[in-house]
Amino acid sequence: MKRTAVSKTLFGTGMCLLTGMVMAGAMAADGISERAKRLHFSSLVIDTHDDTTQRFLDGGFDLGARNPLGSIDIPRMRKGGLGAIFFAIWMPSKTTGPEAVKRALDQIDAIREQVRKHSNDLVLVTTVEGIQEAHQQGKIAALIGVEGGHIIASDLRVLRVYAALGARYMTLTHSGNVEWADSSTAKPEHNGLTEFGKDVVREMNRLGMIVDISHVSDKTFADVLETSKAPVFASHSDCRAICDAPRNMSDAMIRALATNGGVIQINYHVGFLSQEFRNAEKAHPEWNKAIALEVQQRCGEREGCQLIEGDRITREYVERGDLPRVEWTKIIDHIDHAVKIAGIDHVGLGSDFDGANMPFGMEDASKLPKITQALLDKGYSEGDVKKILGENTLRLMTQVARVSHELNTAK
Amino acid sequence: MRQVRISLVACLVVAGFILSQVATGDDIADRAHKLHFSSIVLDTHDDTTQRFFNKNFDIGKRNPDGAIDIPRMREGGMNAIFFSIWIDGRIMGPPAVQKALDQIDAVHQNVIKYSKDMLFCRTAEEVRRAHAQGKIAALIGVEGGHMIGNDIRVLRMFGDLGVRYMTLTHFYNDEWADSSTAKPEHNGLTEFGKEIVREMNRQGIMVDISHVSDKTFYDALEVSKSPLIASHSSCRALCNHVRDMSDDMIKALAAKGGVIQINYEKSFIDQAYKDAQDKFSGGVVEMMDQIRKQCGDDQECTERKMGEIEKQAVAEGKLPHVSWERIIDHIDHVVKLVGPDHVGLGSDFDGANMPEGMEDCTHLPQITEALMRKGYSDDNIRKILGGNLLRVMGANERVSHEMQAAQ
Repeated sequence: MKRTAVSKTLFGTGMCLLTGMVMAGAMAADGISERAKRLHFSSLVIDTHDDTTQRFLDGGFDLGARNPLGSIDIPRMRKGGLGAIFFAIWMPSKTTGPEAVKRALDQIDAIREQVRKHSNDLVLVTTVEGIQEAHQQGKIAALIGVEGGHIIASDLRVLRVYAALGARYMTLTHSGNVEWADSSTAKPEHNGLTEFGKDVVREMNRLGMIVDISHVSDKTFADVLETSKAPVFASHSDCRAICDAPRNMSDAMIRALATNGGVIQINYHVGFLSQEFRNAEKAHPEWNKAIALEVQQRCGEREGCQLIEGDRITREYVERGDLPRVEWTKIIDHIDHAVKIAGIDHVGLGSDFDGANMPFGMEDASKLPKITQALLDKGYSEGDVKKILGENTLRLMTQVARVSHELNTAK
Repeated sequence: MRQVRISLVACLVVAGFILSQVATGDDIADRAHKLHFSSIVLDTHDDTTQRFFNKNFDIGKRNPDGAIDIPRMREGGMNAIFFSIWIDGRIMGPPAVQKALDQIDAVHQNVIKYSKDMLFCRTAEEVRRAHAQGKIAALIGVEGGHMIGNDIRVLRMFGDLGVRYMTLTHFYNDEWADSSTAKPEHNGLTEFGKEIVREMNRQGIMVDISHVSDKTFYDALEVSKSPLIASHSSCRALCNHVRDMSDDMIKALAAKGGVIQINYEKSFIDQAYKDAQDKFSGGVVEMMDQIRKQCGDDQECTERKMGEIEKQAVAEGKLPHVSWERIIDHIDHVVKLVGPDHVGLGSDFDGANMPEGMEDCTHLPQITEALMRKGYSDDNIRKILGGNLLRVMGANERVSHEMQAAQ
């Protein structure tokens, strides 16, 4: 299993080199062919999960300048051709009630302020039309996703306020269960979604917010599919067939998601991409503890710093040979697997940049054209590549908006 | 003094009546009716929001109690309303923020539910557009700086949700400003309070100085780049209540282009009533406190109890009768003091004790008629009914655009 994965990766790299040699002059120094560049930079590239928001609140971070740390800023988004980004509103699951609500408002404001500050490059949008318009104007579309149902404090009115402020999806849970839904990484206590949880899903349908099933338990996922009138997505999850993490989706789940018109947005986190990495982590839980401790020492309670430093320190373990090195091509393996299971219309990109441990070769958003190149090398048509880069997500958003419109006019 | 004034007013009214009889039956009544129902009649302060949380209240139907619902707004020609977001000033921090969001959502949901009659508005131009479409313009004001949780980011989010004014305090001091009805602790506005005023200017959220201490008022006036409003205050010269404004304050407000929106609360418009109420209950804040002990958080219960106690006291002669015409006296006082460009209407409907003859918004045309009988021009009456407030709102929008463009 592990061997196969490695040799597949090597084979892919070999193919890549070979194609490069054949195309000779067409290949630039960065290894991206003219064809791939043309395709990539004319496509709407959408990333549905970025934790950069936390950095806005740490102070001193400027989205407009190229930063030595982290993965996202305007220069690197430009360089990587990222056309639309969902900034995540997030805080640990233990923060609940009014405190969570106030912190969410702070984060929404932080995003809106960054967009206002960099209005030549960014525009806050909530619709497919908004994304397309931004793209035509040469601007990056900024969107908002709420990562965790705990952030609404069990209050539908707060959910509606988030929608009014621009939130376009909500992940039903984060790492812990919420009052009305079970998480994939906590002991089940609600058997999936509670009745109120179903009300939340229905209200999201009415509001035109995408229901995000990343992070939720398998039973919550099944309950959501049954309840939701609109297709749903996994904003940042991978395939269990390749890496058996509870945060990832089984083939059966991916099929069910696709049958409902949904999309799985592939996460670049090494612990979700690579079984080998996951095994090594599990074999040495003390390393994770040590990393957490060091992060705490470096960052205190500053969450933006924690996420960035966590990635950095993890890399030090890899460089020392303690943890296995995971190549960015693993992302392509997951995309390809999901396409084989669900079809070309149900896979997209949900990096988890600035919130996870990035594989080698995909350190930041500037590296995104490599995905386009790799998919072309694998024999994907230009139309198929465009779907994965963003069109599938746009189609899903259109469907969610249509259901919302129907529900609101039916009343 | 007061006696003399009242008889003078009576003489004028009688004179006006005789004149109109001589003309064409009751020409003034007809003209006033036409003027009123073709004008933007804007009320900057209504506590109806609290009622949205009562299952028995439906703003779309005529209600036997309270002062505001769509049928009665239509009947009274009231076509622009600021729904007030309010919670007790002693609730602070994140819980205050969440409760405020709940109320903002309740306003939005009601506007969506009755979108045939109401249109949510954020600008003066949108209010005019709603009026042109025959719809009631619904706006939001936050009554008390305690609801932002001492957090300028929350203030901005309120602005993005459509909040167009914020009263800097309610009955109690908040973290950064002193109230007129609490012991001073900040000497007006703190540095952070000044930052909030500037941010409100930048966001185009009008700074409302009703409820604040005199020092807070003068501090806000000095800091603000935009004209201020008193969303629901009356004149101390006629009723010496701390919630009202002195002539000096009104002059200073007007000099910077602001507007005082007259409050109809009996104890703010009538000195005799205020004096009797002070004796009877120790003042309005103390009375509210007493009632809240019985009603807890139930605002409907508080309103009802207050109404009952008040009604009985008036019946027993412990509190004097107050006529709605006192509202006209306050409007007229401001006009005499600073001209017709700096006064408007801020009823406090559904949140205060209404004078006799102004029990609900169906009585609003009386104001237009009374002003006309006093000899006010049509233009000046339109200003008082809503034009002045829209002018201030427009000025706030301009300052906001300038500040944002300058960044």
